[in-house]
Amino acid sequence: MTVTPSPSPAGRWQTLRPWLGVAARLGLAAVWLIAGGTKVGDLAASGRAVNAYQVMPYELATVIGAALPFVELALGLLLLAGLATRVSAGISAVLLVVFIAGIASAWARGLAIDCGCFGSGGQLAAGETPSYLPEILRDLGFLALAGFLLIWPRTPFSVDGWLAGDDTVEDTDE
Amino acid sequence: MSSRKGRRDAARVVREQIAREKRRKRTLWTTIAAVLVLVIAGGIGWAVYSSQKSDDFTAPPGANDAGTGIVQGTGPVTIDLYEDYLCPACKQFQQINGETLNQLVTEGKAKLVFHPVAFLNRFSTTEYSTRSSAASGCAAQGGKFREFTDQLFAKQPPEGGAGLSNDELVDIGAGVGLNRDEFASCVSDGTYRSWTEHVTDEASKAGVTGTPTIKINGSELRDRSPEGIRAAVEAAGK
Repeated sequence: MTVTPSPSPAGRWQTLRPWLGVAARLGLAAVWLIAGGTKVGDLAASGRAVNAYQVMPYELATVIGAALPFVELALGLLLLAGLATRVSAGISAVLLVVFIAGIASAWARGLAIDCGCFGSGGQLAAGETPSYLPEILRDLGFLALAGFLLIWPRTPFSVDGWLAGDDTVEDTDE
Repeated sequence: MSSRKGRRDAARVVREQIAREKRRKRTLWTTIAAVLVLVIAGGIGWAVYSSQKSDDFTAPPGANDAGTGIVQGTGPVTIDLYEDYLCPACKQFQQINGETLNQLVTEGKAKLVFHPVAFLNRFSTTEYSTRSSAASGCAAQGGKFREFTDQLFAKQPPEGGAGLSNDELVDIGAGVGLNRDEFASCVSDGTYRSWTEHVTDEASKAGVTGTPTIKINGSELRDRSPEGIRAAVEAAGK
């Protein structure tokens, strides 16, 4: 709790941070809702996209592929509501790290696949080249959003904030 | 330090302790709730997928033993061709290589197994990949698989739209000499939809991630030109 009326850099950060937090939270929520939403209509294709990475048996890939879109949607909703923000951000970060590792390993192994990040996964048309670097950079950007929320999970307009009520003493750990 | 301030401090410490305990509990419960939500969501996904999946299928006449594709010819070398009727690169592949493949089959050099996979359902609003593949099963039933396939590629709809309607598929079928009524009921009943699913699943299991994919005696061919295909078949036939 800092009450600094003067616009010192630290004070500016204090007023800015909650709003950056809301932006990060809603941004990450949008990422998951879109990622899940584009996959949820064709779960078999989602399984094939996972299988295309060739890191697990086909049967397991279909299970992961079917479960993943719903988990992504649920994560998106949790972040949208701002419920258990730190945990949601942590799980987001873990998932993103797994995705980045998957893309990097596909790249290293010379596989020609689409990452399947936002639907349209697995197959690439003939002559189409994979765009691994932009995909990894994009996921790193999302990872930064998750990182921000891991460090500063408390944001305005969140269920977490509402549950905490007026007990705002050191509201940084949630 | 006055004793009065000391008491105030002590009270503050206790208050903070109580608040911290409250926060700890709250954090624990919201964490449990969030993890439960995610686990349940994943379970729902798996349940939905399992309920969509059909385990039994009927392969149309003319399919190979595994029921994963339609066989043309009896040559010693096996050419496996994986294509989606909606895939533009497949149409292109057929235009360039269709003639060569037919020649290899009629010359008795190769057996062509065509796997009509439905990889691209998301690129039409009506699951055209599945519908067209299932319809090709109906065409195989009527003995006109190759003719029907050629016509589907010739009349390939663009990605992102509704694809060809079932009525249009029936018109194409009748156009290549299939019995209109039989073919129409096979298409509208979706007789071979579960077969299409089987073909698609097995293609994925076989490591096919894109269309078109061509395999000569089981190994993927990178050179997808008429010369490349012919050379690979000749080499495999030796």
